[in-house]
Amino acid sequence: MLSPYGLDIIESCLTCKTRTERLFCDLPGPALQAFEGIKYATAYPKGAVLFVEGQAPRGIFVLCKGRVKLSICATDGKTLIVKIAEPGEVLGLSASVSGKPYELTAETIDPCQVNFVKRDDFLHFLREYSEACFKVAEQLSEKYNTACHEVRSLGLSHSAGEKLAKLLLEWSSKNGESVKQEPRLKLALTHEEIAQMIGTSRETVTRLFADLKKRQIVQAKGSTLIIRNKGALKLIASNN
Amino acid sequence: MQSGIEHSFMERAERPDRVFYDLPPETLKAFDALKSINEYERGTVLFREGSPCRGVLVLCEGRARLSVCSESGSRLTLRIAGPGEILGLSACLADSAHEMTAELLDSTRVALVRRKDLMEFLHDHREACMKVVSLLSQDLHRAYDRVRTVGMSRSRRSRALRVH
Repeated sequence: MLSPYGLDIIESCLTCKTRTERLFCDLPGPALQAFEGIKYATAYPKGAVLFVEGQAPRGIFVLCKGRVKLSICATDGKTLIVKIAEPGEVLGLSASVSGKPYELTAETIDPCQVNFVKRDDFLHFLREYSEACFKVAEQLSEKYNTACHEVRSLGLSHSAGEKLAKLLLEWSSKNGESVKQEPRLKLALTHEEIAQMIGTSRETVTRLFADLKKRQIVQAKGSTLIIRNKGALKLIASNN
Repeated sequence: MQSGIEHSFMERAERPDRVFYDLPPETLKAFDALKSINEYERGTVLFREGSPCRGVLVLCEGRARLSVCSESGSRLTLRIAGPGEILGLSACLADSAHEMTAELLDSTRVALVRRKDLMEFLHDHREACMKVVSLLSQDLHRAYDRVRTVGMSRSRRSRALRVH
């Protein structure tokens, strides 16, 4: 089925081809059948807000396609991007389990397919199917590790340059490029969004990129960034 | 570490792992059977960031500092864990290395439940698994609060002052 946003919607989890590759979705038959009965498959355009920090939890959102920006906002309006969620992730999980307000804001950065499950249905499902409960515990553990990593990166980095270098090296390690002499990575975020990921201003990110290019540590080709001098970037990341 | 000491903690209100207090008695009994309790001195490092996870640790009394460290050795306190808290849960469930260091701030008894035993226990006791999910959700809320505090503070000094 084709949706208005050009997405090839997966109507049923039972026939989803990518299910086995994803941590939460790879459920045994009976649990999957039960999940199929409580989820609502929905499609969102780019820029749609799934939930807002501080809102009472309505339920969970299983991201099937596309990416979602997860951010925290300060009272002065400053935004910090905590993570870019990828397909297979369950969003709004801890709030739905604990009943506390959503602690992040989730906004699509691509057209997305999302399976929504109401909070009560989800809690009942977890009580009934221990395999699903286990998978949720694993997802929460991973999210917790990511949050600790974020605290370490934000709290213990000395400069914005160090944080940017760490972020670029982290991105290059995700797609197997880190083993290459000159890793390449696709810059899918704007300078403003990168600034929000490392807790600095857009101007600082633009200045840092200009400096890295001038020192021939990185080179930009359209939206692709080539790390020309991995050693120098690692040195910046280690604050030496 | 001293040798194991036998303890029974069946009185629910006085249980050291009071986060499990509302579980059925048979579940609590099964959990107690998995514990090995030891006494540790103040300043003991229960686990170090990056070290493999052997199991979860239950703080019977006292407090522990949970912190992360940079490559240069700078340390940032995530929070102070109190009596009854279960430490190392996320690393244990994700079967990953510890993402933080836990250091005792008081001399206290600590119960260890090995990973393999915990996983079997959670498989056999659905209500305990649900409780663990709830605990992890609380931990995650606290961690995001810390991300907010650390990430939104403009100066290193203000970050350091906001130790939870």
